[in-house]
Amino acid sequence: MAAKKNINFRDPQYYTNRELSWVEFDKRILSEATDPATSLFERLKFLAIVSSNLDEFVMVRVGSLYDMNQAGYDKPDIAGLTPARQLEAVSAALHELVYDQYKALRTKLLPELKSNGLELVKGHENMTAAECKFADEYFRTLVYPVLTPMAVDSSRPFPLILNKSLNIGALVRKKEGSKELVFATVQVPSVLPRVVLLPGSSNLKRVILLEEIIERNMKSLFLNYDIVCSHPYRITRNGDMSIDEDDAEDLLKEIEKSVKARKRGQALRLEIEHRADKRLVSILKKELSIDDSEIFSIDGPLDLTALFKIISLPGFESLKNSPFNPAAVPELPSGCDIFSQIRKKDIMLFHPYQTFEPVVDFVRQAATDPDVLAIKQTLYRVSGNSPIIAALAQAAENGKQVTVLVELKARFDEEHNIVWAKMLEKAGCHVIYGLVGLKTHSKITLVVRHENDGIRRYVHLGTGNYNDATARIYTDVGLLTCNEQIGEDATAVFNMLSGYSEPKAWNRLILAPLWLKERFLYLIDREAKIASSGKEGRIVAKMNSLSDPDIIEALYKASAAGVKIQLIVRGICCLKTGIKGVSENISVRSITGNFLEHARIFWFKNDENPEVFCGSADWMSRNLDRRVEIVFPITDDTLKARLWHVLETELKDNRRAQILQPLGCDYVKEGARQKKAVDSQLIAVKEAVDMAKAATPKKTSESRVFIPKTKPAK
Amino acid sequence: MVHTFAAIDVGSFELTMKIFEYGGRKPMKEIDCLVTGLSLGADTYATGKISKEKVDELCRVLQHFSSVMRSYKVESYKAYGTSAIRETVNSDILLDLIETRTGIRIDTLSNSEQRFLDYKAIAGAGDIFYNAIQGSAAILDIGGGSIQISLFDEDSLVSTQNLKLGVLRIRERVESLGADPYRMRLLEEELIDASLNTYKKLFLTGTVKNLIVMDDYISNCFRRGSKKNDDGVLSRKEYDALLEKLSNGGTFETAQAFGVPEEKVPLMRISGLLVKCLCDILKSETIYAPGVTLSDGIAYEFAENNKIIKPEHDFEKDITACALNISRRYKGSQSRAETLRQISGTIFDSIRKISGLSQRDRLYLDIASILHDCGKYIAMTDIGERSYDIVMATEIIGLSHYEREIVANIVRFNHSDFAYSVFEHSIDADLGKDGYIKIAKLTAILRLANSLDRSHKQRMKEVKATLSEGELSLKVNTPQTFLLEEAFFPEASDFFEEIYSIRPVIIRE
Repeated sequence: MAAKKNINFRDPQYYTNRELSWVEFDKRILSEATDPATSLFERLKFLAIVSSNLDEFVMVRVGSLYDMNQAGYDKPDIAGLTPARQLEAVSAALHELVYDQYKALRTKLLPELKSNGLELVKGHENMTAAECKFADEYFRTLVYPVLTPMAVDSSRPFPLILNKSLNIGALVRKKEGSKELVFATVQVPSVLPRVVLLPGSSNLKRVILLEEIIERNMKSLFLNYDIVCSHPYRITRNGDMSIDEDDAEDLLKEIEKSVKARKRGQALRLEIEHRADKRLVSILKKELSIDDSEIFSIDGPLDLTALFKIISLPGFESLKNSPFNPAAVPELPSGCDIFSQIRKKDIMLFHPYQTFEPVVDFVRQAATDPDVLAIKQTLYRVSGNSPIIAALAQAAENGKQVTVLVELKARFDEEHNIVWAKMLEKAGCHVIYGLVGLKTHSKITLVVRHENDGIRRYVHLGTGNYNDATARIYTDVGLLTCNEQIGEDATAVFNMLSGYSEPKAWNRLILAPLWLKERFLYLIDREAKIASSGKEGRIVAKMNSLSDPDIIEALYKASAAGVKIQLIVRGICCLKTGIKGVSENISVRSITGNFLEHARIFWFKNDENPEVFCGSADWMSRNLDRRVEIVFPITDDTLKARLWHVLETELKDNRRAQILQPLGCDYVKEGARQKKAVDSQLIAVKEAVDMAKAATPKKTSESRVFIPKTKPAK
Repeated sequence: MVHTFAAIDVGSFELTMKIFEYGGRKPMKEIDCLVTGLSLGADTYATGKISKEKVDELCRVLQHFSSVMRSYKVESYKAYGTSAIRETVNSDILLDLIETRTGIRIDTLSNSEQRFLDYKAIAGAGDIFYNAIQGSAAILDIGGGSIQISLFDEDSLVSTQNLKLGVLRIRERVESLGADPYRMRLLEEELIDASLNTYKKLFLTGTVKNLIVMDDYISNCFRRGSKKNDDGVLSRKEYDALLEKLSNGGTFETAQAFGVPEEKVPLMRISGLLVKCLCDILKSETIYAPGVTLSDGIAYEFAENNKIIKPEHDFEKDITACALNISRRYKGSQSRAETLRQISGTIFDSIRKISGLSQRDRLYLDIASILHDCGKYIAMTDIGERSYDIVMATEIIGLSHYEREIVANIVRFNHSDFAYSVFEHSIDADLGKDGYIKIAKLTAILRLANSLDRSHKQRMKEVKATLSEGELSLKVNTPQTFLLEEAFFPEASDFFEEIYSIRPVIIRE
């Protein structure tokens, strides 16, 4: 015990830098792309996800480090790294990741694709004569009219290269006159399909990327010039925007401005074909003021999100996963009165294994139910053509009081959010555009209904966004309840969000930024106290990311006190396991699979009286200190048992799970060979189907026994 | 049948609306509570008027309240303004403006009415109140403009006093001195201590075990979070620890720690000091903060008036208890007051059906009987006028200003000549015709009762009254002579007859 007292739990060596941990996460996605047990198209999808993740990471996280570094901020992070050192380390890690990604593409996936009858033609030089003819025709009729070639000379300055746009850079020389090399560039139009199917035999389909077709026809864009060289390139700009909300008179306008500004942030990454002419690279480097470390020489096609297009090509069914249909929720058969079902008992929804439809129906039924007085909802990210938005608008038109908190600050969704927020306002909804200084990340819907015995409140609480599209991919937990205490809290939440309350106390819900962290620290500490008293302390927690230093410190202390801590963290994890006297009792596993693990579930043993919570918050400082988050307890024993089963299965997963290695930040897959394979996502799919089946009444026509109708009872 | 009701409190620091449901799954249930900060008091106390910006904001909030009321299909509401509205020089104009713009009619509460509603809110909180007032207890009701200290002993109200020590007022006063934060705190404490010590000298005799606190500032800290103290009861030691946490550290840190807006922290600290200083004087051991507000009292009163709930506590008894204490302070004769109450009550009941008077009017008569001669404390001449002055200058908890004016006039005309128009004897024109008639009717009863005990010997205490055929027979069963009473009776009965067209007659049994 004496030794423990001297441990500094905040020692930077006990922590992993969050950006490096994120790169490790993207590596885990990459490892899914190389897992032979996964179907080929799924693997291509993972490879594409690695790229789209990287884009966002560079724009936001690298952008933020860049800003800090530029501003001369040199305070080290919890792992003891200054922004400058983080930038260095991240750059090295990203180069390695990208190298591995393209290696996997070249050496494994593309050859395998070809052997399965689909070839991505590597360069336009490799097309057959017939294909060339087709490509040129395609260029002339479809591509040429939308291109804007631009040459740079003394009278024409270097043009604005849009963030994340794919371009072809060329060095050209006048056929007559000056022999000086001129830089020219043309944007690969994003309005045209990136992947072009070439005509040919039916056994082997060949596709080529649009930029190759343009490159082949570069000379027709610069008629008076010789093309010395041409190569595709792509830049990623700083996308992190820091709006000073106190100064922003109208948040909406400020965000509109900032979205525009994002197109012109500092370039942070240049991706360019690996065999590009050095002179071309140096022009780009100078014009974009970019360092060598920010240049990624790519041996393969740029922007692998093009793979999303390849896997959506018709045919090749054997290379895809069979289509997935979420199972019905047994407690909510289609066409039921959702409110009377909720009155019977609390209902838990486990997406995407169970359908998201009841959540949409909840709002839809409320919109038309004559007894419903008000609907209040927080919206963070919604789908393009959201049925929820439509239902809310309808409710307002039907005279219900509809209050919607639209979080305009949901990153990269701002533009999209503004459009439908305005639409809701037009329909008569009371729209609140977020809170000054805080992002509203909580997911809550409140329906107030006037019933014979008074006002009754129905609440949906979730761990995921109200987005019917992502609800088919993200694993999330939702709760439908009419518990009075939760209803009261929900009302207080919306009053608080609309600036009309300072709640004195919460019955059940726990809210960030004011109360949540304190509560988690209390719960963790309670386990530590239980363990110190000689009983078993145990915590099982599942989340997307773990980076809050206070929480990690509390976990270390609890581990040192003997609490067994099992964490299921999909993404960033700044905690290190296996440190003697600090984290020997902590294990961390990450599950990546076909579905994006998104639920946050927190289980505390509490001396044989387990307490389970679900919510919208990760154990990250941004969630606990700078966002409005809601965590809710699950008190019903059946539902608690179900959540425990979810956690238990994920702890047994040896198919999808990767284990954080002691003292490091790298992960290794558990060898599944010796054991029976446990794939937690597959099990969840099967269990949801079984539950739905068990609840479906057998059709009488299937039976060979006829059932006579009896005289109706009087 | 379920009813919904909205209680709106236009306070000096906050606007609150609570929506209540009656007759649902519970007899009375709060279903929504909206609070928003708006420091109307800061304007009123400093300039006597509320600035245009704040009036606009007030109207905007009230319009929102109105839309929330509509969404709950609220059937009736009551909106009250307290000192920030009451003390504006142009309150009538202001209230009319607000009503025109928002459709919400705000009535002004006098301090005593407000405190009485607050007190009802505490009583409505249930067990916490009944447990606390079983022994010796005090209620400290802290407002923006003033505080009210009410003392209880064994379930009955002993005294209630208003002190101009409201948190906003203290802050304004201390801030105007321009001291640094440390000295400001000392000044605040000194200011509070000085006033409370005067209070102690005048009104306190022993220690008071339980202190019930009602405010919009520190009470909430008692129940912050749901882990502990959800009953809102703290021992003195726990309270001191809470105050320590509240007082130490910067405003921002404290606001963060307690989850309140920054501007509220200084007010919470002053409120905390008030509780501490009063605790020191009373030597209180336990502090209760039921966490109720004026809105709860408004809803309680609505439920009471509409017979939705039956109060366990007799509030009228508190009003008479308060009047008895005032009478005691001015050396009024308790036994005489008791006789007058009894006789006047008997007469009132006998003519109730034809008098057009209500149960509430009986309370005015009762209080007037208790305070009928308090002016003697000042001088033996002009007792009517002196008594009127005392009643008007003394708060009687539970009575509005209007009601107090009625009582004061009954007491006055018990001795002075009756005024046959509102302009004579400067009767407040606000009383209107109804108030005037009420005064006349109740004065007639009190005068008659007074004449029946002119000798102050309580000879006719057991009088029985029966009304038949235009005559009020007052039957007395006493072997004693009552010459004095007989001498004064005709004059009083003439007046009575003039008012009721009923002739009182004395019948000896």
